[in-house]
Amino acid sequence: MALALIQMKFAVLRRDLSGPRATWVFSGAVAGLAMAASTIAMATVDAPDLGTVRDLLAVLFALWTLGWMLGPVATGQPVLRAEQFALQPIPRRRLALGLLGAGFVAVTAVVSLVAFAALLVFGLRLGTVPALVSVPALLLQLTLAVLLSRLMGRLFGALARSRVGAVLGAVLTATMLVVASSGWIVFSALDAVLRTGFSPVFSTVVRALPSGWGAVAVEASARQDWLMTGLPLAGLVLLPAVLWVAWNRSLGPARWSRPTVRGSSADRAAPRGRASLSPTGAVYAKELRTYARDPQRLQSLIVPPVFAVLSALVPLAFGSTVFLPFMGALTALMGAATCANLYGQDGTALWLTLQTPGSERADVRGRQLAWIVVFAPLSLLLTAAGIAVAGQPDLNPWALTATFALLGGGAGMVPLVGIAQLTPGPDPRAAKNAAADHSDVAGQAFSMLFLALTTAVPALCVTLAGHLLHNPSLLWAGVPVGVVTGWVAYAMLGQAAHRNLRKRGPELLFLMRTGKQQQQPKPGQAGASFSKTLPVHRQCLLWISFLAGCIALFPQALVPTLMKLSGHVEPLWFLALHMRPEWQWPTVFLMYTIGVLAFTVAARIAFIAIKAARAA
Amino acid sequence: MTVRITSAEGAPPPAGDNQHPAFELVALHKEFGGYAAVKRAHLRVRPGSFYGLVGPNGAGKTTLLSMAVGLQRPDEGRARVFGIDVWEEPERAKELMGVLPDGLAMPEQLTGRELLTYLGRLRGLDRDTVDARADELLAVLELTGDVERTLILDYSTGMRKKIGLATALLHGPRLLVLDEPFEAVDPVSAVVLKGILNRFVASGGSVVLSSHVMALVEQLCDTVAVMAKGQVVVEGPVAEVRGGKTLEETFVELVGHHTGGEKGLSWLSR
Ligand SMILES: Nc1ncnc2c1ncn2[C@@H]1O[C@H](COP(=O)(O)OP(=O)(O)OP(=O)(O)O)[C@@H](O)[C@H]1O
Ligand SMILES: [Mg+2]
Repeated sequence: MALALIQMKFAVLRRDLSGPRATWVFSGAVAGLAMAASTIAMATVDAPDLGTVRDLLAVLFALWTLGWMLGPVATGQPVLRAEQFALQPIPRRRLALGLLGAGFVAVTAVVSLVAFAALLVFGLRLGTVPALVSVPALLLQLTLAVLLSRLMGRLFGALARSRVGAVLGAVLTATMLVVASSGWIVFSALDAVLRTGFSPVFSTVVRALPSGWGAVAVEASARQDWLMTGLPLAGLVLLPAVLWVAWNRSLGPARWSRPTVRGSSADRAAPRGRASLSPTGAVYAKELRTYARDPQRLQSLIVPPVFAVLSALVPLAFGSTVFLPFMGALTALMGAATCANLYGQDGTALWLTLQTPGSERADVRGRQLAWIVVFAPLSLLLTAAGIAVAGQPDLNPWALTATFALLGGGAGMVPLVGIAQLTPGPDPRAAKNAAADHSDVAGQAFSMLFLALTTAVPALCVTLAGHLLHNPSLLWAGVPVGVVTGWVAYAMLGQAAHRNLRKRGPELLFLMRTGKQQQQPKPGQAGASFSKTLPVHRQCLLWISFLAGCIALFPQALVPTLMKLSGHVEPLWFLALHMRPEWQWPTVFLMYTIGVLAFTVAARIAFIAIKAARAA
Repeated sequence: MTVRITSAEGAPPPAGDNQHPAFELVALHKEFGGYAAVKRAHLRVRPGSFYGLVGPNGAGKTTLLSMAVGLQRPDEGRARVFGIDVWEEPERAKELMGVLPDGLAMPEQLTGRELLTYLGRLRGLDRDTVDARADELLAVLELTGDVERTLILDYSTGMRKKIGLATALLHGPRLLVLDEPFEAVDPVSAVVLKGILNRFVASGGSVVLSSHVMALVEQLCDTVAVMAKGQVVVEGPVAEVRGGKTLEETFVELVGHHTGGEKGLSWLSR
């Protein structure tokens, strides 16, 4: 039985590696392997005290484990789920074993295994015994990560069924995201860390976390401190055992039912106010009701502000207030990302829009309006609060510009990306008791982050020019420019979105009904070129992504890296080198990320187009 | 192999206010990865006709009707509503149609009344009209009272069908295209539904529905088409199609080549 499940997972994996998702899987694997390689590299660094390397590894393992725990949030539930086997007479223990085993059959598990081999490298460096200790340790760490991931999946699944749970889940998600994305702070100060080690408190914390136990055991065995070798290893056996029991029990029948949300009574069903009389107003009212009633939407609403506030608070712990004014802009940006799949979430309900003549425009505009109404007050409030608390007047024009530009850009991109890159999931009614059972929206959210950021670039360039030329009026001119570009993005991207919806409506419905793209046999178009099969806006997107990727990766990331490593620094137009020293490496890293993401987007578009051209 | 029984041809269309058929499907064709689900199917529905489409599971009824109303793009062929091409002038054609598709979602977070209000306004109907029609539809379909505040998400299968029918009727269409409207609907509601549809036809509207219940088709429809393996095998007035037998017998004769049911599934007989 367990074996059959694992074989099923292999089949799924084979399909993923050859299907349309292959680009994502491969680019994800490449990025993951790059990170795994850097993890291994960290096991080889020189430090006066080996304890520092141990702590460093503990930090990295904590980040990897956290990544596993966050997995279910981004990628939805695993392909093989307990509910699918609810009617089969399979003993729960065997089911648990099978599903857990299937969890190891994944690209992510292979990548993590490579990363966790850092422990072996560390062990080999210390001698034979530590090397021997490292092997079971790293396998146990991986088991721990997979088990935690599975349990988090169950937890999020249970939480997402009610609105209160969704809020809790949102806070939890945002917190983990912040911790995971704050990991780089350690590495921005790597030189100092290697010289002086971590602060005692920090070191104790990362070693106390189960993710650090393997590193502790390996290092202790080199010192022949058998107590500190045995204890963590025993812990690494015991904890997964406890989690295993919990995992087993979590597969039992659901313990509480979904709380029922009630709609409005007869006399309140018709929304009041003049605005709601227009078709756009009707969609707007429907959307606001959905934000208030649907746990999944509520989650999209809560994650952004919590993420933004926490992200600004982390640097505060290091005495830096620079992030505070940007809380609002970050909320808008994350809001766009969490709402990237609005159309996909509504599933086949799209048929009503298609069947109502001329309602596509109202549908898109109404959704945009609702998004703005939901996120603008939050963003503006957080920007105002951040500005007030931070007391860094020179950041104010940046923060305001970014907030306005991103609010408009987000409202424009939400329907456009939602339609152009729709990710089909289960129909809402099928998923009503398993709300976390959504589709894998990570790729869509990433391209949304990137595209929404792009809309803010023109306005921020004005601010940057004002800053570089020491021209205060130009500096502040960024704000009205941000308002204008935001408005333009809202209007034009929205228009592109409803044109797209009108043109491809039936295809989108097909995609949501069947979960796959419709191949359209177009006679006489055999071997149609790329530029023919690809709509103009996708072509634009392709070239913009490609260009942005080139700029970010080469001049803005690679060249500064080389310059900094060679010690021969010429700032010129390299953004990173204009930053304060402590911000230079993070900026370079950011540029790498942007570059890779842009290339991924470009590659994905091109890949789909090539496939479409072949199919034609 | 289409056998077309065309006796009603010369008869004047009841309430025929124009010369076009209410609904005309010409050579609609759809393939899914090489498998032809609908093979150049033709249908013609006179104005004022109550038209039944029957066929075994997987015959292509849902596919045909979704292509005909503009929800699924056909590979080939045309669909016209009162002479207006659904795929060339969708806005005008969709004004005239009310559609109930099979198995598609709704805006799930709304109540029935909220949905009707939303759709009415989306169609640009004025407030009083929408409120009055929603009131009446919900009352007739028994979606008021205890279930007033229930979200569509929590509706039962039959309630879903009923609210779907309400959305199809709301804007006062001249043609109704209903995919299995009676599936999962309780007997009492079915009577109500039949009443609504009969009155709709009596007042000059046209109805196309697909169903698996032969008795119902016999009782309601004046014209019937039988679909099998993606093709319309027979089309004509109910009386002529069944020709002396019951519609069920004719249907089984036309599409059922499999005997069995007596033999097989040996492990079930102990
Ligand atoms: N998206 C799709 N991809 C592949 N095949 C499909 C798709 N949709 C329908 N089919 C196939 O087309 C055929 C016709 O399906 P359709 O749903 O139209 O049948 P139907 O007559 O409505 O059946 P039922 O009476 O069971 O509702 C079936 O064989 C089905 O498997
Ligand atoms: Mg069907």
